[in-house]
Amino acid sequence: MKSLASTAAAPPANAVERGTPLASGIKTHLNRHFDLVVGAITLIAFFLAWQFARPLGIPGLSAVEPPTRVVAASWDLLSSATFWTACYKSALRILAGFALAQIIGVPIGLMMATNRMAFHTLFPITEILRPIPPVAWIPVAIIFWPTREMSTVFIVFLGAFWIVLLNTIGGASTIEESYKRAALSLGSSRWHLFRYIVLPATMPSIVTGMVVGMGISWEMVVAAEMIASDTGLGYLLWQSFEINAGAQVIVCMLAIGIAGFVSSALISRVGRLLTPWQGRR
Amino acid sequence: MEARTCAPARTPGAGSGEIAVSHASVGMYDRDGKPLRLVEDCSFRAERGLFTVLIGPSGCGKTTLMNLIAGYIGADRGAVKLDGVDVKGPGWDRLMVFQETALFPWMTTLENVAYGPMVRGIKTMPQIRAEAGALLERFGLGEFKNRYPRELSGGMQRRGELARALINDPLVLLMDEPFRGLDAMTRQLMQEYLTHLFEETRTTTIFVTSEIDEAIFLADRLVVLSRAPARVAAVIEVDLPRPRRFEQLSSARYAALKEEALNLLYAEAAAAFAETGAGADIKEAFEKRHAAD
Repeated sequence: MKSLASTAAAPPANAVERGTPLASGIKTHLNRHFDLVVGAITLIAFFLAWQFARPLGIPGLSAVEPPTRVVAASWDLLSSATFWTACYKSALRILAGFALAQIIGVPIGLMMATNRMAFHTLFPITEILRPIPPVAWIPVAIIFWPTREMSTVFIVFLGAFWIVLLNTIGGASTIEESYKRAALSLGSSRWHLFRYIVLPATMPSIVTGMVVGMGISWEMVVAAEMIASDTGLGYLLWQSFEINAGAQVIVCMLAIGIAGFVSSALISRVGRLLTPWQGRR
Repeated sequence: MEARTCAPARTPGAGSGEIAVSHASVGMYDRDGKPLRLVEDCSFRAERGLFTVLIGPSGCGKTTLMNLIAGYIGADRGAVKLDGVDVKGPGWDRLMVFQETALFPWMTTLENVAYGPMVRGIKTMPQIRAEAGALLERFGLGEFKNRYPRELSGGMQRRGELARALINDPLVLLMDEPFRGLDAMTRQLMQEYLTHLFEETRTTTIFVTSEIDEAIFLADRLVVLSRAPARVAAVIEVDLPRPRRFEQLSSARYAALKEEALNLLYAEAAAAFAETGAGADIKEAFEKRHAAD
């Protein structure tokens, strides 16, 4: 049997015959799944280094609880109500802040891109406020908003808001002139132009803003919860550190990573539904 | 050929419009604020039911002239009239087919074609959809009506765009180098297709091109534009019989028409080249042709 890989490499015909069927089979398999094999080797090496960091005396890594302890700790944590309440609280804050960022950011962005007056009114203030990292807002947010909950949601909102705003403005102000002209010729009113041309033409940029904004939202919720809250995954992470529960710290980190990954995947799915005319990204 | 399915049957060309451009001038400022004259004292008529082709050296202001007729820009002096009425802004009575496709990427082919009747609210949505579907069927795009434009080939996109314009039964069809960017084969097929369509509907058409063969094959009347700013250098009546066939491209009459047009174009291109260095492409093509003779 001639294998795909060896045919592709085009060795002399007798070279293929000489290899035993089993050896050439494994070789084919390795060639075909090269990416997976390399990835798996790196992962295994990493976990081995982490597990045996203390006996091997690897600096830095030896201060961290080994994977076996983390797995044990995760079992305890995953069966506790505290952990799931924390997940729930963080998710709610993300949802509220992120949704607010869309609800406020997208219309303002569209307005700024389509109306010169709106742009010149709002542009200076956004340029002053935008470079301030959302985390730097935490003290002001605590003073400004009546509850800690509101402050946290506000920080999450800020994280997503700027990127949503910028993407919306960028998308809506770079619409090809020929689309607008064609639509005008075909008899569009101002409303039609907005509803059927400006909005869908901006949608891919809005989706990009959503995907990036969701990532920043998770960063912000963790930071805000560490400082301004007494619930949520960020708080649980910080508290675990304070009570010196090293394994639990790692579990919280992984949980936040997984939550971020899941929400990004969800947003990408929503994005594809919003822009069905685009190829899979 | 069968009657149009998209509009009530009518005498060919009878419901169609006539465009008169009289002494039109258009200028703008370039990046350094220097005034640029794009169209200067330009006058011509696109008669009812005729296929008028505008041809001129590249950069001579053909597209500006089309934008003027479409109503996307206004004239500084002079006027554009449709059936004797001043053109004031874009309207569905003069529909433009653009250089690169302007089918809306976020709408399916059917939605694109249905767009004009939908926003004008002249019929119910089921009626519009049925009509658009029938038109697409006739344009050979029946199977692609629920596809997005990016899933269509270049030739299909142009046919879709033609359908999107023609469903509105416009008085004048404006086409600004619509076949640019198509491969040679598709381009020829589209020229043949457009000729059939025109001979069937006789919708007044103004077509811009810089390809001499395309121009003569399609045109009833060839308006040769001068170098920038665009004026009318000459009007050539293309008296090749209709229906047009590609075999006519090898007739003696065709050769004479082409020679006449090329001489005019060459004079303009050479003058433009001497003045600004523009239009080198036509000059080069002309010289290559004569070197081969």
